[in-house]
Amino acid sequence: MNEDPAKLAAFEARIARGEKIEPGDWMPAEYRRQLIRMISQHAHSEIVGMLPEGTWIPHAPNLRRKMVLMAKVQDEAGHGQYLYHAAETLGITREEMIDALLSGKAKYSSIFNYPTLSWPDVAWIGWLVDGAAIKNQTMLAQCSYGPYSRAMVRICAEETFHYKQGKEMIVQYMTQGTPRQKALVQDGLNRWWWPTLMMFGPHDSDSPNSAVLMRWGIKTKSNDALRQEFINEEVPEVLALGLTIPDPDLRFNAETGNWEIGPIDWDEFWRVVKGNGPMNAERLAARQKAHEDGRWVREAVAAYAKRTPEIGD
Amino acid sequence: MTDTQWPRYEVFKQDLPGQPHKAVGSVHAPDAEMALLNARDVFARRPQVVSMWVAPASAVFSLTAEELAANPEFWQGTAVSPQPYALFAKRSQRRSMTFVEYAGEVVAESAQLAIKQALEDGRFQPETAIVWWAVPLSAISGSDPQDVDSYYAPATAKTYRQQSYYGFVSPTRKSVKREP
Repeated sequence: MNEDPAKLAAFEARIARGEKIEPGDWMPAEYRRQLIRMISQHAHSEIVGMLPEGTWIPHAPNLRRKMVLMAKVQDEAGHGQYLYHAAETLGITREEMIDALLSGKAKYSSIFNYPTLSWPDVAWIGWLVDGAAIKNQTMLAQCSYGPYSRAMVRICAEETFHYKQGKEMIVQYMTQGTPRQKALVQDGLNRWWWPTLMMFGPHDSDSPNSAVLMRWGIKTKSNDALRQEFINEEVPEVLALGLTIPDPDLRFNAETGNWEIGPIDWDEFWRVVKGNGPMNAERLAARQKAHEDGRWVREAVAAYAKRTPEIGD
Repeated sequence: MTDTQWPRYEVFKQDLPGQPHKAVGSVHAPDAEMALLNARDVFARRPQVVSMWVAPASAVFSLTAEELAANPEFWQGTAVSPQPYALFAKRSQRRSMTFVEYAGEVVAESAQLAIKQALEDGRFQPETAIVWWAVPLSAISGSDPQDVDSYYAPATAKTYRQQSYYGFVSPTRKSVKREP
């Protein structure tokens, strides 16, 4: 880092005092770079995250579930917008970010490259995937960069409804459901459990960005610490419903109070991150199609705007 | 041009009558009318909203406490011609969903001079301000009070968007800990 040592020291002192860094304030180039990387990936994840669940909207089992799912998918679209705007305060444009997504250059959360094969998968996404996301986002709401922190506070408040509606469904199917419904729930758990645990990212020992992110108050907890918190909270809940977690090594360590898991298949994680997951190509194609299909709307709105002088002209 | 993301508009949301408009984020739109519609979709999916303002981001002059300390004479040589400005301030480092909030109006010859006035006027409580925004009133477009019911009221009926709508959801815990 070739930063001015005095400015860097003042910046780190501000973070140590719990101040938020705001647009216009001095920041190290690496802080800006890391934030753009994280926030844009996070925004893309929200946008791509609409796809696995959106596909089930026409097949929702009743009107209530359909309204809830539509509201949830609409929230994800809004979350993507909050985050693109937070990233824009760092000097990147939304256009650049969307180009990166549509060209396949940008990364997003690997979890959305898995297929939703049955309706209870929607419920598992709410409980496990959104539950894991909330763990991460609750931490990021403390982030030292003001715009990211504010987007996260807003997202967390909304995301909790997503988690609760998913869990409500699983509880309902497991306590009142038919044997077939229960079997579909178990099948969903078998497929979503491990990819959810991978959402927290590589082990701390393989996470090259973590040290600097923690030093500058972007992250306040490590990948492994967050993953363990999530496991400890959710394992007893899942087991209480009579479900089987697909991990023969899972056991409770009474000494540490932790639920210990077997090894995570990192080969699978990297395969999906690198674009070779079951749904990577389809997700990208769906986003490209949505962008092209929306072109006439953008053109119509632009033509309408031309009719009248713009405010500020 | 057909594929542009359009200019950015800053969005200010008023939750209840009598409360200040607060900056919540931004939207892209080709004009102020579409910006207000996009702002409704992005920032008013849940209660409570009674009014929204939008202003082109290019019309917002922002000054942080750090920038002020580095350049206390920031207003030098900026005077153009007098017009009314809305002033907004951020006053807390606490975790929040909102950024600067409406603090009042002044007539000044530039956005910089509008902030200078606020810094010298106790009514604006300059000692607590961490970030200032000055926006020409002519650049701000507000929602029409007649639209409030059709724009914002439907969100209040969609209670299933609220986490409080979901009661018992935990087999082992009495209630799920509320997220901040």
